[in-house]
Amino acid sequence: MKKIKTLAVTGATALLLTFGMSAMAYDGTKCKASGNCWEAKPGFPEKIKGSKYDPKHSQAELDKQTSAMEAMEARNAKRVENFKKTGKWSY
Amino acid sequence: MREKKLSRLSKTGSAALVSSVIGMMTVGAAFANDKLVELQKDEANWVMQGKNYSADHYSTSKQINKKNVSKLAPSWTFSTGVLSGHEGAPLVIGDMMYIHSPFPNNTFAINLKDPGTIVWEHKPKQDPAARAVACCDVVNRGLAYWPGDDKTPAMILKSQLDGHVVALNAETGEVHWQVENGDISVGQTQTQAPFVVKDLVIQGSSGAELGVRGYVTAFDIHTGEMVWRWYATGPDDEIGLAKDFNSANPHYGQKDLGLKTWEDDAWKIGGGTNWGWYAYDPDLEMFYYGSGNPAPWNETMRPGDNKWTMTIWGRDADTGLAKFGYQKTPHDEWDYAGVNVMMLSEQKDKSGKMRKLLTHPDRNGIIYTLDRETGDLVSADKMDDTANWVKKVDLETGLPIRDPEFSTRMGHRSRDICPSAMGFHNQGMDSYDPERQNFYLGINHLCMDWEPFMLPYRAGQFFVGANVWSYPGPKGDRQRGIGSGQVKAYNAITGEFAWEKMEKFSIWGGTMATAGGLVFYGTLDGFIKARDADNGDLLWKFKLPSGAIGHPMTYTNNGIQYVAINYGVGGWPAVGLVFDLNDPSAGLGAVGAFKELARNTQMGGGLMVFALDGKGPYDDLSVGEYEM
Repeated sequence: MKKIKTLAVTGATALLLTFGMSAMAYDGTKCKASGNCWEAKPGFPEKIKGSKYDPKHSQAELDKQTSAMEAMEARNAKRVENFKKTGKWSY
Repeated sequence: MREKKLSRLSKTGSAALVSSVIGMMTVGAAFANDKLVELQKDEANWVMQGKNYSADHYSTSKQINKKNVSKLAPSWTFSTGVLSGHEGAPLVIGDMMYIHSPFPNNTFAINLKDPGTIVWEHKPKQDPAARAVACCDVVNRGLAYWPGDDKTPAMILKSQLDGHVVALNAETGEVHWQVENGDISVGQTQTQAPFVVKDLVIQGSSGAELGVRGYVTAFDIHTGEMVWRWYATGPDDEIGLAKDFNSANPHYGQKDLGLKTWEDDAWKIGGGTNWGWYAYDPDLEMFYYGSGNPAPWNETMRPGDNKWTMTIWGRDADTGLAKFGYQKTPHDEWDYAGVNVMMLSEQKDKSGKMRKLLTHPDRNGIIYTLDRETGDLVSADKMDDTANWVKKVDLETGLPIRDPEFSTRMGHRSRDICPSAMGFHNQGMDSYDPERQNFYLGINHLCMDWEPFMLPYRAGQFFVGANVWSYPGPKGDRQRGIGSGQVKAYNAITGEFAWEKMEKFSIWGGTMATAGGLVFYGTLDGFIKARDADNGDLLWKFKLPSGAIGHPMTYTNNGIQYVAINYGVGGWPAVGLVFDLNDPSAGLGAVGAFKELARNTQMGGGLMVFALDGKGPYDDLSVGEYEM
């Protein structure tokens, strides 16, 4: 009898844990504000900086695209300026 | 007209970038744009990839119809001389056809009266390093056309893998201008077709698998000058939000979310490139497209909703400012890049109200229909009932209700997620038949396992962070690696499918519908097929020299209706075949999914053109012969 009771309690706990975890899991519907509904999944941090999931990106690498875009825009602007002046496209 | 536009611009400070140029452009714009609209209506032409601004891929031609399609036979062919995936379709304007190729992005102009003779060709010399940063084969989705005005001759617009946008004189092939729109050293490439609106060439961006922050840019057709450029992520004044952005649907989110939904500077390498298809409503003067997946694929590395990746955009054509943005897959965990075709239609909704609609079959397995004036969500249906990452989309909130069982996260291999990263729908240009009110969808039936891993960002290097194993979905045959495709007829108002058919492989290139009651499409294993638009019955097919990943097109010349399609297997589904890969997780998960493909087709590259009884320009035996 005692064994059956123990099993029942253990089963109920397992069930609770399963459903409890599922209810806590991220389903995308609990929003902090309009358009901002992400939640950390169970066992994962709100912020990854400083956590074991921190990819430790280099700031210099992060900024390279911005620099590349600015440089392209400047080169294109010179080409257009020359085109407007001369009527000939020079790359 | 001009005053109205300038007044609107003056209210949008951030768009004042080159406002004087826009002002100048709008004077002649109405004329050029009207000409393009008229050309679209003439079935002699196929002036843009979507056939028309609605991107409905529907032709009113019916010389080829249900009764006689069995007599369709090859009329003439053209080899591009290039292998790899041939996406997109040629353009036809009058007697001229313009054909593109994958990298090295050659362009050919031919006269349809004698298509065996090349009128001009443009063969750019590109940095071969561009190939190394291309995500998924070296495809290109085609050309665009601008009809010319009294200042500037008609132009063919092309994008190159190495990031250049080039304007070619449509008559001579001479380069009118050539600008940089991407730098391969930081992973930026171009695979998408340019899109012409008024006197603007609108160009997207590619490279989210290398952490490229997506952007859309407009260039002045006359000079190549940049008119505006807006990003998918970051500060609002770089994303280009109109003052009334999402005012009709504030629950979609409005201000500052391009920063708030990212941790620190992650938005700078956050993806959201837009390498898919565009549509335009000349009455509303708005254009539509989708931004793609956030980077990297590993969701644990980018906490937040990651706005505005995965978004259907409705932007003002003159300023590029966004009137609405609806994010379909907040905090994507599966690479459901949201760049697919946007098809515009006018239909009565369930309440009987006539509305201007936009229908978008997304990678995430949901087909969305929005009111394209306001961004209101009208319907969101599963393209196949096997989609399991999402229980449903709440039409009130616009939010997908996710099933946590199919989420992905570090330290975990998620199994049997449907769709796979390749989506239930990918870059295929689909069609809408206004008579039958059916959308004809070329579908992937693919699911996957997914396991993330960590990696640091290095500009110009792949930044994915997930191993993927794709395979046919539950309705296919996983053991044999076939049954990965479907074709369906869908009604966006009722949400019902009029018919659906399974296919051996994914229908990657999309469909074309005609008033002849036919739906055409190409298959990865190299068939072009025609089905009955009413019931899906297979009425005709022809085996091409190589698999097809482009979309069919049709035109009428000298009284004959032709159907044409590019052949040349490749693209993401065929990277294993193109690069001879065997590891099932290689090619971002595609190799395993299409392991059977190499037994069905091999590489090739060109165009096949069909007509009833194979009629065509060479019926006159003297055409193309030596003349004294």
